[in-house]
Amino acid sequence: MGKGYRQAPGKGKGKSRTDGKRIAGKQDFGVPGSGGSDPYSNLQDIDRIPASQGGQLKQPRGPHVHDPHITGQTIGKSTPLVDSRWKVTGQAEYGDDIRLPNELFGKILRSPHHYARIISIDTSAAEKLPGVKAVATGMDSVNRFGVLPVTKDEHAMAQEKVRHVGDLVACVAADSEEAAIEALSLIEVDYEVLEAIHDMEDGLLDSKDPIHDRGKYHIGDSNVQKRVFQQFGHTDAMREAKFQSKSDWSFAGLHHGFTEPHAVVAHWDPNGRLQLYTPQQVPHYVHRALSSVLDVPMHQINVIRTFVGGGFGGKSDPFPHEMCAAILSRKSGRPVRINFDREEVYWINRGRHPSRIQMEVFTDEEGRIAGIETDALIDGGGFASFGHVTTYYNGVLHTSPYEIGGFHYTGARVWTNKPASGAMRGHGAVNSRCAVEVAIDDVCEQMGVDPMTFRLANLLPPHSRTITGFRITSTGMRECLDEVRKQSGWDDKFRKLPFGRGIGVGCGFFISGSGLPIHWDPENFPHATVHLQCDMDGGVTVHTGAADIGQGSDTAVAQAVSEVLALPLDMIRIRSKESDTAPVDLGSYSSRVTFMNCNAAIRAAIEMRDKVLKAAWEITGYHPDSLVLGDRRIYYKRDPAIGISWLEAVHKAQADTGSLIASGAYRTPPMGGIHKGAAAGLAPAYSFSAYVAEVEVDPETGFVKIIKAWAAHDCGKALNPLAVEGQIIGSCHMGMGQVLSEEMRYGRTGHLLNPDLLDYKIMSVHEMPEVVPIIVESNDPEGPFGAKEAGEGPLLPILPAVVNAIYDAIGVRINELPVSPDRLHSRIEKKCRKMKIDDPMDLPNPTFEPSPLQQKLSNRAEEHANRDLQRDLLKDRSAYVNGVLFGFDPDLPLHEQSEGWRESVTPTPEDLADDSKRAARAWNHVERRYREENA
Amino acid sequence: MSSHIHIPMVPSDPMETWTGTVNGKTETHLAHGHSILLDVLRDKIGTLGVKRGCDMGTCGCCAVLVDGVPKLSCLTLAFEAEGKEITTVEGLADGHHLHPIQQCFADHGGSQCGFCTPGFLVVSAALLENNQDPSESEIKDAIEGNLCRCTGYQQIVTSVMEAGKMLREGISGDDRTEPASDPHPIGPDEPSLPPGDAR
Repeated sequence: MGKGYRQAPGKGKGKSRTDGKRIAGKQDFGVPGSGGSDPYSNLQDIDRIPASQGGQLKQPRGPHVHDPHITGQTIGKSTPLVDSRWKVTGQAEYGDDIRLPNELFGKILRSPHHYARIISIDTSAAEKLPGVKAVATGMDSVNRFGVLPVTKDEHAMAQEKVRHVGDLVACVAADSEEAAIEALSLIEVDYEVLEAIHDMEDGLLDSKDPIHDRGKYHIGDSNVQKRVFQQFGHTDAMREAKFQSKSDWSFAGLHHGFTEPHAVVAHWDPNGRLQLYTPQQVPHYVHRALSSVLDVPMHQINVIRTFVGGGFGGKSDPFPHEMCAAILSRKSGRPVRINFDREEVYWINRGRHPSRIQMEVFTDEEGRIAGIETDALIDGGGFASFGHVTTYYNGVLHTSPYEIGGFHYTGARVWTNKPASGAMRGHGAVNSRCAVEVAIDDVCEQMGVDPMTFRLANLLPPHSRTITGFRITSTGMRECLDEVRKQSGWDDKFRKLPFGRGIGVGCGFFISGSGLPIHWDPENFPHATVHLQCDMDGGVTVHTGAADIGQGSDTAVAQAVSEVLALPLDMIRIRSKESDTAPVDLGSYSSRVTFMNCNAAIRAAIEMRDKVLKAAWEITGYHPDSLVLGDRRIYYKRDPAIGISWLEAVHKAQADTGSLIASGAYRTPPMGGIHKGAAAGLAPAYSFSAYVAEVEVDPETGFVKIIKAWAAHDCGKALNPLAVEGQIIGSCHMGMGQVLSEEMRYGRTGHLLNPDLLDYKIMSVHEMPEVVPIIVESNDPEGPFGAKEAGEGPLLPILPAVVNAIYDAIGVRINELPVSPDRLHSRIEKKCRKMKIDDPMDLPNPTFEPSPLQQKLSNRAEEHANRDLQRDLLKDRSAYVNGVLFGFDPDLPLHEQSEGWRESVTPTPEDLADDSKRAARAWNHVERRYREENA
Repeated sequence: MSSHIHIPMVPSDPMETWTGTVNGKTETHLAHGHSILLDVLRDKIGTLGVKRGCDMGTCGCCAVLVDGVPKLSCLTLAFEAEGKEITTVEGLADGHHLHPIQQCFADHGGSQCGFCTPGFLVVSAALLENNQDPSESEIKDAIEGNLCRCTGYQQIVTSVMEAGKMLREGISGDDRTEPASDPHPIGPDEPSLPPGDAR
C-alpha cells in the first residue's frame, strides 16, 4: 500500500460547492509544531472494512450494528497492551510500590483459632511500645460490610468471634515493620474456643453456635448461608429416561494464585479526604464499603486503583485489611501501608469453593438430553463474600449450550471455619460444568455414540432461550466443536489411541457480564459509563472506571475509541485509576468489562465523532453523511483527496462549542423471568467454548501428563486477538492446574496445610503443554463490534476435557479433583480389584462401537447446522425456546408448558425421599422466610 | 486462655555499610547483616521493579542478575551480593531503547498483569546474553523458576524467541523518547483516489 494523504485539503484541484458559499480545500491552517515520525495519514485498510460497508472483511454471519463505525484502525488487530511498556520497564506501580512520605507500617494480628469467642483484648502494652503510632481493634469500627448488599457479614476486625484461623483481630501501625511485629506480640487476647466446623456436610446440621446469625433470614439453626431450589421442564419424565449417568463429585478448594500479594496504602490527606491506594478489581465496591465502615461520605474518599498483579476474582471483594489501613491512618494521621505476605493471602482467600456435587444426566432413546439433576453443596468458609451468587451459578450455568428436557437443582452454601471462599475465574460454573460434561461422556458411552456427535446434535440454536429463560443471542458453539474436532484429528484418535494415551472433549458456557448489577438499580443507572475529552492537542482522554487487572481492559476501551474516531492508539489516553476522575463502574468481574465498557466507549466516541464531523461540515461544506473518518483525517466520501485533518476539525469544534467532551453509557436490555433467582446468570450475551485435550496416563503410578490441548472459544469478535489468545492459554493454565495439581489442602484438624506457593502447586513452564488457541467469531448482535467475553469462559472446558481424556486413556473414571497421582492410582487399583486384574497394564483399553443412534445423531447434527445458519442470517428467526426438540411450542416459555413447574417452593419431603444427602438435606430445615406458594 | 507467649524481640545486629553496583551506579547504604537483597533493592535503593511475590523463592518475581547470573533476591543476603554488579529490570533498557526482551514481552503478549514480568525479563535477558538462539527447551529451562499465572507461559516463550531473533539481526528496541503519530500529518502533493478507501 502506498503512502497516504497529506492534510492540506484539496490543493491543486479544489472542489467548489455549487452554491458558492464555501470552497472546500481553501482553508489555511498552520501546523502546530507537533512534529512526528509519521508524516502521512494511512490509507483505510480495506481488508478491515466489513463487507456490509463496501470493504473486504468477510461476514459469514451477516452485518453488525457497529459496522458503520469501523474505520479499520485497531479493532481485530493484535495489539500490545497500552500499559505494557510500564510493565516491562518495571515502572508499573502495584500495591506494594506505593511509597508515601512519612508512612507507617501496618500489621495485622490474626486469629490462631478456627472458631473462638473473644473475651477480651488488651492493647495497652502494644500502645506503649516505642514507635507504635496506632492500634485498632474491632471496637474501632462496628459497621458491617460485604460485597453483596444482601449478605454483609464482614467487619474490619472481629467483633465478638473469630471465624477462621487468620481472621483479623487487631492491627497496629508503627514506624518500622519490626516495631509493628513486636507490638502484635504484645496484644493480649483472651479467647473462648468454640467447636469448629470443618466438613461442609456438618454445616448442614443444626449447630448450637452458628458461625453467623442472620436474624430473621437465618435458615433454622444451621450453618446454611444460602440455598437454592430450581426446577424447570419435565423433571418427572426425565427420571424415566433410558440412559442415566450418576456421579458424586468432590472438588477441592482453590486459590487464585495471583503473583502479587494484597497490599494497601491509606492516607487521610491534608484536606481530610481519604486516599486509598489498592490493587482492586472493583474499586467502586471498596468505595462504598469504606464509606459505610468509616462513616464518612463517599465524596470524601478517593479510591485509587494501582496496577493489579493478577486478580482472577481474588481482588474483587472489599477487604477488611483495606478498612484496617484506613482506620489506622485515621487514628495516626499518617499514611499507613499494609503488605501481605504470601501466607496472609491464603487467609483472606476468596478462591473457588470446595464443592461436593451430585450430578445426574438423563438421555432418551432419541439421543436427547432428557434432563439434568444437580445437587451442589459448596463450602463458603467463614464469610458470605459472593457466595449468594455462587450458589445460583453452580446450577443455572450448566443448563446450556444444550437443549434439555428438564432441570432440577438443589444447591446450598454453608459456612465453615475456613478462610472464606468467593469468586474465582469461571465463578461458580467450573465445577458443575466439569461434572455435567463428564456425565455426558458417560451416557454417550452407554448409548454407543461419539460424544462429539452427541453434542453437535443437541445444541441450542442462536437467538433462543435456555430452559432457565436466559436469552442466547449469538452462539459459535457448533463452530468451536467443528474446529477442535478437525484440528485435533478427533475422528482418528477417539477410542483409537493406544492404552495409556487418551483424548477427551468438553464444552463451556459463560456469562458475558452480569445482567443485574450488584449495587445499582439497572432501571435507573447504567452498567458502565465512559467520558471522553479532547483538547487542543487532538488526543482523546478516556475516563472510565473499568479496572485493568492485566486482562487489557484499558487497551480494549482505547481500541474502541480509536476505532470509531480513526485515531492511532497512542493518541488515546486512558484514565481509569481514580474514583475522583472516573465515572462509576462496577469493576472487573463476571467478564463484563469488554462487553459493557466498550459498548459505552463506542457510544461516547460516536457522540464525539458527530461533534467533530459537524465542525468538519462547517469547514468543508460537505454534510457529515458524506464525510468519512480516515487515519487522523476527515474527508469527502467520493474524493478522499478533499479533506481536513482531525486536528483542524477538533480546533473548529472547540472554537464553536468551547469544549469537546462526550459521554456514553451502557445498560443491559430487559431480560429474564420472574421466578426466584431469575436474575442469577442473566447476561446480555454468552460465550461458548469447546476444548479437546490429549493426555498420557501412566497406569502404574496414576501420573497424568497433558500432551496438547486444542481450545476453541467463541468470543463474538476478537477485538484484540493477542489478548484473546493470551486469555485462552492462561485459562487453560489455570484450569489444568485445578484438574491436575492445585488444591487448598486442609489437615485433619482443619488447618490449611499449604498456604504458600511451594505446596500450592501452580503449573510451571515444564508442566504446561502446548495449547492451540482457536478464536471463533460469532459476531454478537449487541456486543461491541460483535465481541463477547474471553476471560473466564475459556477456563471451563479444559477440566472435563482432561477428565474425559483420562477415561479414554485407561478406562478409569475419576470424580475427584485434582486428579493427583495418588487419587488416580487408588481408582486404578479399585478397578483392577473389581476386574480381578493384577497388573494395571492389563486393564482393557476403552473401545467404541457405534450404535444405530450414531447415524441418527449425525443426521440431526447436520440438519441443525443448517438451521443455525439460517437463524444467524435472519432467513428464519422464528421464536425458539429450549424444548422444541422435545415437541414443545417454540413461542411459549417452557415453564408455562410444563406441568409441575413451580416458581420457587421449598421441596416437599417426597422430593427428598430418595435423596437425603448433600445440599438437598439443607431443605430439611424449616425456613423462616415467607415463601409464596405458586403451583 | 491467653494465646500469646511473649517472646521479646531479638535485638537487631548493628547496621553495616553495604556497597554494590546497581544498574551501573555505585550504591552505598546501611544494612543489617540479615537483610535480604530484595529489601535493600526495594527499600533503600528504590528499584521497585523488583517484586516481592512469595517470600520463599518459589515465584521468581524478585529475580535479579548478580554479576550476570540470575539470583532470587529474596533468598540472597544483601551482603552475599556485596561489591557485585546487580542488574534489575530497570537496568535492561538504555534510557532510549527498550531491551529487545522488553520490546518482545510487550509486543507478543508475554506480559499480562505484569507482576511476574520483571523476573522473567532478567532471567531471559541472562539467557540471551549467552545464547542468542535458544531452543524452546532451553528457554523453558531458563524460566523454570518463574511462575506466571496469567499467560500460561506460551506467549512468554514466544517473546523470548522473538527477542533472540531481534538480537541476532541486530535490531534495537523502540526508542521511547521518539515522538509518535503526528496528529497533523502532511503527505505527497498529488493525491488520487486511493485503492484502500472503501467508502
